[in-house]
Parts: sequence; structure tokens; C-alpha cells
Amino acid sequence: MSNVYDRLVKLLTEGFGLEADELNPDDTFGHLEMDSLALVELTVAAEEEFGVALTNDEVGPDSTLAQAAQVIEQKTVAV
Amino acid sequence: MGGSPSGEHERFDAAVTGLGMMTPAGAGTAASWERIREGAGTEAVRMPELAGITTDFACRVPGFDPVAVLGRRRAGQFDRSSQLVLAAAMEAVADSGLDPQTWDGARVGVVLGNGIGGAETWETQHRRLLDSGPRRVSPRLIPMLSANMAAGYVSMEFGARGPSLVTATACASGTTAIGTARDLLRSGACDVVITGGTEAPLTPSLVTGFSQMGALSRRSDDVRGASRPFDADRDGFVVAEGAAVLVLERAGDARARGARIRAMISGYGASADAYHPTAPDPECTGAGLALRAALRDAGVGPDEVDHVNAHGTSTLINDATEARLIRGALGDRPLVTSVKGVTGHSLAAAGAIEAAVAALTLADSFVPPTANLESLDPEIELDVVAKEGRATPVEVVVSNSFGFGGQNAVLLLTRA
Repeated sequence: MSNVYDRLVKLLTEGFGLEADELNPDDTFGHLEMDSLALVELTVAAEEEFGVALTNDEVGPDSTLAQAAQVIEQKTVAV
Repeated sequence: MGGSPSGEHERFDAAVTGLGMMTPAGAGTAASWERIREGAGTEAVRMPELAGITTDFACRVPGFDPVAVLGRRRAGQFDRSSQLVLAAAMEAVADSGLDPQTWDGARVGVVLGNGIGGAETWETQHRRLLDSGPRRVSPRLIPMLSANMAAGYVSMEFGARGPSLVTATACASGTTAIGTARDLLRSGACDVVITGGTEAPLTPSLVTGFSQMGALSRRSDDVRGASRPFDADRDGFVVAEGAAVLVLERAGDARARGARIRAMISGYGASADAYHPTAPDPECTGAGLALRAALRDAGVGPDEVDHVNAHGTSTLINDATEARLIRGALGDRPLVTSVKGVTGHSLAAAGAIEAAVAALTLADSFVPPTANLESLDPEIELDVVAKEGRATPVEVVVSNSFGFGGQNAVLLLTRA
């Protein structure tokens, strides 16, 4: 898994109280019981961590962690 | 204790069947009560966050670990004011022996006093807005800071689907909440009410605000001696955080299920000074109305009151005015205590903490002392308990709370 994925996992464990060993690349945020407010919190935290602006279309309840990492990676490259 | 001496008014008793306390005297009811019984000094600390403010100390709940109580994932979703009251509510509901898994949630209400709401959240997020811009502000800002959410979260925690609300009468809020909860039982709207109060106001801007009013003690070099209600050398209150929760049920229901009843809420009175934003009416007209209404509501005569758990903030004006009120309405027979000598003044939580203490006073036949009372203000002609608490039978306790805005609330508790 990419460096961005690892940093996303770290962000979820440190900022959202999730356990690293319960996180898998194919998990959706909905599966992790992250509600709409938690997803906005995640975009705020990701903007700080990665310096990219995410929307809740890109990171929604049905997005997997791997997909989110991919979006972040693409945006980082684009910047 | 029987009904009204005049027989025209049937007394309604709400049983206190559960207690939870998160106070500067301790995280938990047993720890809080033990330290309040000792009354050895003000549980205040100097706080680095308050450096540079004329008063740089306050009373915090020692050893409170929100992650241990709520879990790592949930703890960050609540302001400290909600964390404290959730912890107190969990203790109180467990203490009551009621089972939230099986109770009829539609018959369970939640009424909590809250003064300022999520002050720490507001201040932190405002700093983020100024420093980093709007995109860095938490989407939880509104649910974390709104004062009503304390009750909303407690309702969610226990599946309590009856009336859920927050009362705001400043430093009387906790007492107003308990009186309102009692009324929900009396009217039949609820069978159980989870009630109390919470406050977490130890932020730089709020402490500065109280300090600029001249309301706070400035004893930075002697914080354990800083809150000294009724003492001749008192110089202001010590601001505190805290929460307390009481589970109330109709006395008959509580007896029928064999619950342990700590005390009864037997009377409640509320009033307004209609006088001044922050100063009490020197004639005590409004406060007297609330006190006499609580006595009448309980059908108790002024000469039957054994103990007053005073508002006793340690400000010059409150303590002098309240002493005149007590002396005028109840004479000099009742033992008087202000536990704020230990706990400081936790604003909307104070009345709830003091109602819990009043219940424990009745249950244990022990009147706690007023910490730091070394030399009674000569103008105060009352039997204020100093140094050591008194082990003595207590049948009737009055608990006073007076808020900014001239909003007054008084509870009368009796032995179960």
C-alpha cells in the first residue's frame, strides 16, 4: 500500500479513534460507521495533512479507504 | 414528615434514587462526598492556560479521563461540558438500579442545567478560524457548543425519549433543572427523570470575563484558601467545572420497586429579583419569594428547617445578602454550609452538585463544613459550620441557588 494510504490510516487512528488493525483498504467509511459529520471532519483533517481539498462526493460513505487514498494521491500529484 | 400543617396542600415527594458526581472534589460520588465531608480547602489549581489573567487558577475535576468513560472514538465528539455530564449520568443511572435496556424510554425525561454550553469548543474553533481560515473549522462546532446538546446526548445515551431540555438560569440552572424535573414527575409526563447540571467554563476568555467583573478571588499565592464563603476575608469566587446528575422517580414508584432512596425532593420555589443584571437585591425580595415558595410547596414551616446548603459563593455581596435572607426567613437555628469552599463555583452545575450533597447529608446524617471559614464575617449572624462537619440527625434541608439576571431557585429536600 502507498505512503498516502498509510498516512490516511494514521490520520484515522490518531484523529478519529479507530484502531489500525480494524482498518482494511476495502472498508468503506460507512462500514466504519463514520457519519456525515465525521466525513466532513475527515476532509478538514486531510486538507491539513495532505494540502489538498476533498469534497464529500470524492470521500463519501460508499468510498473505500483505498479509493480515498487514490483520490488524495492524484490530487497531490496534480498540485 | 406529614402533609401541610394547614391541610390544604398535599405534598409531592420525588425520590432521589441515583446519584452521579464529577466535581473538583473528585471524579465520582464517593470521592466527591469524602472530600466535601473533610472540607479541608479549595480544590483549585493554577492553570498554564490562564497565565496573565488576574486570576490564573480554577477548580478542575481531578483525574477525569473522558476517553476511559466514553471511548477514544466518541470522546472527541463531545465538548467537555457534555463529557462531564455523560460521565455523571452513567454513574447516576447505574446507581439507581434502573435498566435502560428494559425501561420504557418514552416515560424517561432529561432536564439538565447548562450555563454557557461548549465554551472550550467555541474558543478552540474560533482560534482556528482566525489562524487558519474557515475550511479548518470543525463541522462538529455547532453540536458541540449548543447548550441544549448536554441533554440531547444524555437522552441518546439512555434511549430516553421523554421530554429533553436544558434550563438556563445562570448559576441557578442546576437547581431550576431539578425543580422542573420534579414537576414532570408530578404532572405525570414522566416516570423517571435524569436531571442535574453541567458546566465547563475554564477558558481564557470566560475566566477573563469573570475576572474583569471583579467577581473572582485573586489569591493566586494561596489557591487552597481562595474560596472562603462567609469568612471575613473572602475576596470573590473561584470558578469551577463540574457536573452532577440525580435520577428522580415518584416516591411511590421508587418504594414499589424496592429502590434505595437517598432523599426526597419535597419542595421547589423559583422567582426573579427584577432588580439588576448581576447584583442581588439587597432587600432579598425575590430570593425570599423563592425560599418561601419552596417551604410552602413542601408544607414545611420555617422552624422545621435543620440545614441550609447555601449558595455561598464567597463573594462579598452574595454571602452578606444570602445571610440576611436566611436569618430573616429561617432564623438562626439551621446549620449553614457552603460547599463552594471546597468545590469552587461551577455555575450551572453548582445547584445540582449541592442538591446531591444535600441528599447525601440527609442519608448520612452528616452536615459538611464550610472550608476556609476561619473568622466568620461579623455581619453574618448564622450558625455556619466551620472546620469540622457535624454528625447530627437532619430531616429538612434547603438548597439555595441565585443566578445572574436575578433568577432564583430553591429546593427543599427531606429525609427518605
